[in-house]
Amino acid sequence: MTSVAVAGRPGRAVSQLAIRQIRRGGLIVAVLAGGMTAIVAATFDQVMADPAAAGSLQALASNPAIRTLFGDPIGLDTAGGFTVWRVGTVTTVLLGAWAILATTRTTRGEEEGGRWDLLLSGRITLTGALARHLAAVMAIAVATAVGITGALIASGTPAPGALIHGMGTGLAGLFFGATAALAAQIFPTRTPATGTAVAVLAVTLLARMIGDGVPALGWLRWLSPFGLMALSEPYVHNRAVPLLVLLAAAATVTVAVPLAAARRDVRGGLVAPPTGRPARLRLLDNVEAFAIRRVLRPLTGWALGIGAYFLLIGLTATSVTEFLAGNPALAGQAAEAGFADLGSVAGFAATLFALLAMPVGGFATVRLSAFVAAETDQRLALLAAQPISRARLLGAETAATAAAAVLLISVAGLTTWAGVALTGGHLALTAALHGVWNTFPVVLLSLGAAVLATGWAPRWTGVLGALPAIGGFLLLVIADSVAAPAWVKSLSPYSHLAPVPLAGADWAATAVMLALTAVLTVAGLAGYRQRDLRS
Amino acid sequence: MTDIALRAVHLTKRYGRLTALDDLNLDVIRGEVFGFLGPNGAGKSTTIRLLLGLARPSSGHAEVFGVAAADVTRAHRLLAYVPADVALWPHMTGAEILHLQARTGPGTDLAYRDELVDRFELDPSKPARTYSTGNRQKVALIAAFATRAPLLVLDEPTSGLDPLMEREFRTAVRSARDRGQTVFLSSHQLAEVEAVCDRVAILRAGHLADVATMSGLRALHRSEVTVSYTGPAPALAVVPGVEAITETGEGQLRFTLTGPPAPALRSLAAAGVTALAVREPSLEEVFLDYYGTENGR
Repeated sequence: MTSVAVAGRPGRAVSQLAIRQIRRGGLIVAVLAGGMTAIVAATFDQVMADPAAAGSLQALASNPAIRTLFGDPIGLDTAGGFTVWRVGTVTTVLLGAWAILATTRTTRGEEEGGRWDLLLSGRITLTGALARHLAAVMAIAVATAVGITGALIASGTPAPGALIHGMGTGLAGLFFGATAALAAQIFPTRTPATGTAVAVLAVTLLARMIGDGVPALGWLRWLSPFGLMALSEPYVHNRAVPLLVLLAAAATVTVAVPLAAARRDVRGGLVAPPTGRPARLRLLDNVEAFAIRRVLRPLTGWALGIGAYFLLIGLTATSVTEFLAGNPALAGQAAEAGFADLGSVAGFAATLFALLAMPVGGFATVRLSAFVAAETDQRLALLAAQPISRARLLGAETAATAAAAVLLISVAGLTTWAGVALTGGHLALTAALHGVWNTFPVVLLSLGAAVLATGWAPRWTGVLGALPAIGGFLLLVIADSVAAPAWVKSLSPYSHLAPVPLAGADWAATAVMLALTAVLTVAGLAGYRQRDLRS
Repeated sequence: MTDIALRAVHLTKRYGRLTALDDLNLDVIRGEVFGFLGPNGAGKSTTIRLLLGLARPSSGHAEVFGVAAADVTRAHRLLAYVPADVALWPHMTGAEILHLQARTGPGTDLAYRDELVDRFELDPSKPARTYSTGNRQKVALIAAFATRAPLLVLDEPTSGLDPLMEREFRTAVRSARDRGQTVFLSSHQLAEVEAVCDRVAILRAGHLADVATMSGLRALHRSEVTVSYTGPAPALAVVPGVEAITETGEGQLRFTLTGPPAPALRSLAAAGVTALAVREPSLEEVFLDYYGTENGR
């Protein structure tokens, strides 16, 4: 009686659908979070080889700017505390951001695309479908928590601290997944839902940064998953209360999801979209203008995020560098921990500007992925049937993305300069701009890789595009940590990035990266010209 | 410019081991309304994607007014396209999409476009995400009909339209033909094809089953003949092309006839026929003749 058995479990089928949609990304996140944790924990002995190191790293904790940027460095003298400080924020942001994107994509995105109409015409209810999709994301958060805890325990750190940190990360993942699901009930489309949840992530991260940096505002940390994780002080005090607060917050938001869903129609939200508006005909006259039009909105969002972060960098730069300049031993330790040349504003800026290639390379990849998505869901069909060559279609998108990336990195330079200037530090505007522009070839490499994937393997655009800017950075960090041979490190574009404005640009490396970008782009365009559009 | 609006020469498309389209040879003549019929999965959309250069043929080639279909910058100056499943940019309003299509397309008659917006009763101020399937189709139809491109390629363009809009669609197709535009209409709505098309191609499981004018197509297929007679019953059973003979009453017969009617008429002559009615097959019956037993596969 197979048919009866199948008919009797609509919920299980929906759960399987939910898992299928997120398993690849979820696996990558869980493995990456656990792997990064294990690798950093393994480097602790290396960093601590110098007997003076423990003391000077502890001294670092007294600097508000360091707290602001990297979190409260508590328990740095233990392998666990050191690991939490080095990767805790990164893994939490990684898991939180993924949970948000996966949740809004599989719930609101599918519903907006009309694919839930059929699903919900069956026996499964809207709240049932939502619960099962959210549960799938939450299962990945739990798996990530288990992975991190396991990695820490396997590295020989005390189990209670490992458990507190792992659970904190997992709970933050649950909280952001639930937040995204709630936002997806409020807004009838995916973009504002994702935007709102990402804003919550950014604001709560900022709240922890401010709470860490400004003692009078320390209470802000109670309002932020990141702050609560810091307050739990893994490996030092192993406090459970902040985690209970985080659990309560995640549970509250989770319960609010079905309550909100019950008050809305399928394909609708709690807020109704405007039903009509006058036509805005700007930037619709050719594909190039249209590519610019479509990039403007995401560009604004990314510029706000990146601008805020680098303003913060600028505001704290003087304080950090003065502190490090007065503590040479500490500066050496910071170099060991992956932050070299932090002793001057120029060096500090140069080090942090290199990080800029990661989000901006990610931006370029996301834009090309969106272009492939437009092709896959047939939005591109009407344009592709116009007298416009394929090369021009993809070329316009690539050029608009490259221009937007230049603007993004310039925003970072401007806000860093403004932050430094506001706090009375010394960083010339031209030096700041040279510094950020120096990272552009790495961004272009990511864009070129994404174009190549668009032309030959559109399904892999996201992965291939992220490889140079994000994969390259991870490679360098990992290679540094495990003391890999030089040629491994040299595979990362970051190892060829000169510390501008501290030093001059490495023009040979820049030329190589630009040439490589050109090859990738031309090959991608060639592939796109001859392949079938996805249907 | 040649008089062949669309030409497919040994056009073949394989997806791995699946042959979606097998050796299609087809000429669409300038100025005609050409119906492209076939059940779901017969290869209609695949053919159109090849004709538009959206997909590359595995072998063979296609031309639009003598221009290779792969040369899209030239070929697409000569055509406008309505996809089967119209997807639009969700944040853009109908008016914005029509503007984009007009500015990037082969030239648009803006006054006629506004007239079409009225006739199809489209509210162009709404964002595309709020449009129903039919409204999305209207946007694409208006954009295509408003162009002065000599060829319109329409892929199942009316599947989401209500009967009133379907009538507007037929009017628009006839006006396009009156202006000299060629229309390539893929459809499985037989009434629509019957109403507007001059010639029809029938596709079955990736093969071209037949190409004929509407009347030629009917002639090739079973007509239904009803006769009343006073003499002896005609000996029709042995006449080639005659099938399904049924006695419908005293001195009344009904049978189906395929091919030339002369042999049947000869055997009827002896029967003293008092009344004779011939009904041509509807396109639906023709269609079922092709697909009825095999279900198109």
